[in-house]
Amino acid sequence: MVIAEGRVFRLLADRGLADWRALSSLPLFTELVQEAKLVETREAVDVPAALGLVSANAAGILEHDVLPFVSYPYEWTFGMLRDAALLQLELVRRSVNAGLILKDSSPYNVQFHGATPVFVDVGSFETLQEGEPWAGYRQFCMLFLYPLLLEAWKGVPFRPWLRGRIDGITPAECRGLLGWRDLFRRGALTHVVLHSKFERSLGASDRDLNRELKAAGFHKELIVANVTRLERLISGLRWSPAPSAWSEYGPTTTYSQVDAERKTKFVADAVAEEGPALVWDIGCNDGTHARLAAETADYVVAMDADAVVVDQLYEQLKSEEAKKVLPLTLNVADPSPGLGWRGRERRPLQERGSPDLTICLALIHHVSIGGNIPVAEFLDWLRSLSTALVIEFPTQDDPMVKRLLARKRPHDHPDYQREWFERSLSERFDVVRSEKLSSGTRELYFARPRA
Amino acid sequence: MSASYLAYIDAGTGSLLLQALAGGAAAVAVFAKVYWRRLKRLLRIGQPEEEGPQT
Repeated sequence: MVIAEGRVFRLLADRGLADWRALSSLPLFTELVQEAKLVETREAVDVPAALGLVSANAAGILEHDVLPFVSYPYEWTFGMLRDAALLQLELVRRSVNAGLILKDSSPYNVQFHGATPVFVDVGSFETLQEGEPWAGYRQFCMLFLYPLLLEAWKGVPFRPWLRGRIDGITPAECRGLLGWRDLFRRGALTHVVLHSKFERSLGASDRDLNRELKAAGFHKELIVANVTRLERLISGLRWSPAPSAWSEYGPTTTYSQVDAERKTKFVADAVAEEGPALVWDIGCNDGTHARLAAETADYVVAMDADAVVVDQLYEQLKSEEAKKVLPLTLNVADPSPGLGWRGRERRPLQERGSPDLTICLALIHHVSIGGNIPVAEFLDWLRSLSTALVIEFPTQDDPMVKRLLARKRPHDHPDYQREWFERSLSERFDVVRSEKLSSGTRELYFARPRA
Repeated sequence: MSASYLAYIDAGTGSLLLQALAGGAAAVAVFAKVYWRRLKRLLRIGQPEEEGPQT
């Protein structure tokens, strides 16, 4: 994969080129692209010579449509991973019926365009050898099924597990996490208990099981049967979290109607003036301002540390088929790092595109007091993004700030002062305008990075 | 959309065999047949298998 000059290319070896041509000549390929389930892909023409791709040792070069922002499963909500899993299974089922198979099952091959999952790895498709089982089944369990079971059955968020290991949760680990009552749930016995047992007893076996299965009459309908059962299992999984601190914030917020309207207008004016391509809304809550920004901007990444509110936002956006807001579960005080080999297989948040405008409403007190990040440090980070900024500062007299400070010792946060915030802000940004809300404890700032 | 180094996966011997259980009754028959053939081989019943000797 090569990303250059805003275009995405994929270099193919001989076998990859043959697989691509087999795929692209099938009606299935056209259907999947038309249904927006597979990223638009073509054999590249006019590849800039300066990239050196043509002379590289490749049999062919493909070009993919560019997706506005790359995200990873440890930033998704339960509903997002579930829908990505269902897309993966649908692709396997339809491929098998068309004589193909997906050779791997990684959620990293799925990206979200707004609230729509899109499969991006055309290199995963290959010709199905009759009699062979689905090689991607184990990976499907480790990176899709077990994380979903963990959250649906045990109420344990899968994100730290996926962020903790790029290969996901092993069958034995998943088995260890289930209680005896879970064993009666649909799918537990086969996909977890027996899977882990087989893996333990056969792990070191050097039998050629592919050949044995083929000789015993394994056929592709059995893959379809397994996939169909998995689709049923996953469609039936529900995540029922307790209401979080923020899931009721939107409807019950302490803002007066007047302040809410002024805030909305302030954001709308800033977005209109800035005309940004990419907006980040950090601490997006119910997504009100992200949606507002999306009316003007090309694309908005709406982030919040609270998975409950992000999942609600995702389900709403999905029902509207919205394509311009990407909801992500992300804690800005602990953002996604680079992961995998040399930390480069999965990129850190800020290497995946820099925002032209960043919205930080009702956020800085959580980062500073809740997250123990000094005010000036936080502004330094924002400045490093070279982004314009709409930021709200609630003073120490604000009820929310008081609540956060009450959990700390007195004088733990001497830098959380409006004067210090304004000074630190103006050292890094040119403040275009500011506005005090009628509550008297909150002020909004629109600022551009200083040259 | 991200760099993937050596994106070849280990299908897992246990995971492959499990698929001869996870696909319903027809799959279980395949599972049983795998073991039946192993047993026959062990008892040296019938023709030598095309797979050759197993460890």
